[in-house]
Amino acid sequence: MRRDARPGSRPQGQLVKHITPAALVTLANELAETHDVFAPREAGDRLVLDRMASAGSGRPPWNAYRLPDPLKSIWFHPGRILARWPPRENPPPSRPCALFGAKACDLKAVACLDRVLRDHEFKDPAWCSARERTLIVAGDCTDCAPTCFCTTVGDLPYPTSLFDLCLSPTSDGYLVEAGSAMGERLLSDHTDLFVDAPPEAVARRDRARAEIVARVRALNERFPVRDPFAQSVSKHDRTRIWAELAATCVECHACNMVCPTCHCFLVHDLPAPDGAARLRLWDSCFSASHARMAGGLTPRLQLTERFRNHYHHKFVAFPRNWGITACSGCGRCIEACMGRIDKRECLHKLETRWIPSEIDRELD
Amino acid sequence: MHNDFVPVPAILEHVVVETPTIKTFVLRPAEPLSFRAGQFVQLYVPGVGEAPFTPSSSPSEAERLEVTVLAAGRVTAALHALHAGAEIGIRGPFGRGYPLRKLEGREVVVVGGGVGLAPLRSLLHTLFECPGLAHRVSIKYGARSPEELCFRRQHAEWAARRGVDFVPTIDRPASGWSGRVGLVTTLLDGMDVDAKEACAVCCGPEVMLKFVARKLIDVGFAPERVYLSMNRNMTCGMGICGRCNVGSLYLCKDGPDLSYAEVQHVPYALG
Repeated sequence: MRRDARPGSRPQGQLVKHITPAALVTLANELAETHDVFAPREAGDRLVLDRMASAGSGRPPWNAYRLPDPLKSIWFHPGRILARWPPRENPPPSRPCALFGAKACDLKAVACLDRVLRDHEFKDPAWCSARERTLIVAGDCTDCAPTCFCTTVGDLPYPTSLFDLCLSPTSDGYLVEAGSAMGERLLSDHTDLFVDAPPEAVARRDRARAEIVARVRALNERFPVRDPFAQSVSKHDRTRIWAELAATCVECHACNMVCPTCHCFLVHDLPAPDGAARLRLWDSCFSASHARMAGGLTPRLQLTERFRNHYHHKFVAFPRNWGITACSGCGRCIEACMGRIDKRECLHKLETRWIPSEIDRELD
Repeated sequence: MHNDFVPVPAILEHVVVETPTIKTFVLRPAEPLSFRAGQFVQLYVPGVGEAPFTPSSSPSEAERLEVTVLAAGRVTAALHALHAGAEIGIRGPFGRGYPLRKLEGREVVVVGGGVGLAPLRSLLHTLFECPGLAHRVSIKYGARSPEELCFRRQHAEWAARRGVDFVPTIDRPASGWSGRVGLVTTLLDGMDVDAKEACAVCCGPEVMLKFVARKLIDVGFAPERVYLSMNRNMTCGMGICGRCNVGSLYLCKDGPDLSYAEVQHVPYALG
């Protein structure tokens, strides 16, 4: 595998369990008694990620591929009060959380955000607390959206890490694998819901996984990418290709909002009845005001510079700073784009297009 | 868990009017705030907003710090409206601070533009307090007009120091002004320094930084010894809010002072 691939490795001898759809419903409903449960919910003809009603649900918490909502909408919630004035503690969260519906691309994004918000000298209190108290029930992809391209960024359409439990559909339910001590405890605490999986089930699951990998690859054959992204993006530091790629961008910021790894934010300070509050709101690097300073000087004044900065951040700066590409290949940005800008096509063009005469000499 | 977004209360003890547009705020934080010259803090006006500033006072004083602010936007206007006794918030310090070790034993040319002299003042305090640190200090300071020269109350004292020379300039001729006239870059020609070995530390509007850096390179300074204070819009101060990047570097944690060698090949780095 290329780049960020982390091929799955299951500890030898670990037991794989099986759960029926009805028992999975029971598990979710039982968890809802003690946890805030987030799970796929039917909304018209599609599924969305939502808080499960306390009365529970009759529907197995399952989705065939990633949901429209990125996990940051739960853990990096826009509008969360970061701090209060006069200074005082934020009230502690009351209940632990359980999350159904996470796919491998969601977990890749969690790995990205963990690096920024948890794994260095700065710890984002809200993110760290959410990560600690959330049980993650992830699942293999059994289908893909037309925009999925996880294999292009070197990832896989099934989870290999960062889950507590991972579900892989079978003909009569789901194989269940624990990925953490919390997941193992859940299995041992609910022996009535899980049975040992038949020995051939793992081989069947691995065949199904190979099939979905092949499907995502076939889907993206139109946009072959061979060179490292950092190289393809950097070589266009000063070319005019960005004007072409950004030609239909209307600066709506939708790609940033749905991106599971985008985490730019601003702090909105406002008066509150008992003093003042500091609110975190999502921000967009496509906005001209993103870097604007008091007095009006605006770095990256041109849309083309902001467009380039977006790609540079995801494919050059983030890997350099954090050792991981800040794109999970989930394709939400492609789905959301009103200008029909396709990240796969852009990456493909960045790699293949190189016309020296494109160099913008005025910039030097 | 410690929450880095919660400001520490600070009492505004005193306000010094430096120029018609610049004020210095003397603050006493509820807990001492130790910083290195060049590191910045976030000043919080409750319910209004927060903005980053590099203190202009000596880093040896952690209980009382001075922050010199040009009224330029929403938060700075709110700060300018405050009077002694007001309570505000402060977070920090953030950033690396000036590369003092690299200045050691060298001639240091300090180039300031307008309120850009404020962060440099904390460097000057440090250099003056540690006489062995810099071999010689040369201060080149430009402002729009005589009224806009910041810290005028201290210029004579700086100029009189041994091993220090101080040259101010204003952009356009003004009545009553007998000093130099012209942009600060005009002070950088024919300097009596060993450019190859000297260091320069510059702070001012980005367009000034761009031309000062080019001029310093032209007169023989090494790009890795030209430091630019790039104090941009920064929300968090910790490298996570995403707005202050220059290429792959975050000014808030990798800067705000970067060497010209670090930024010269970054596209569109200087405004």
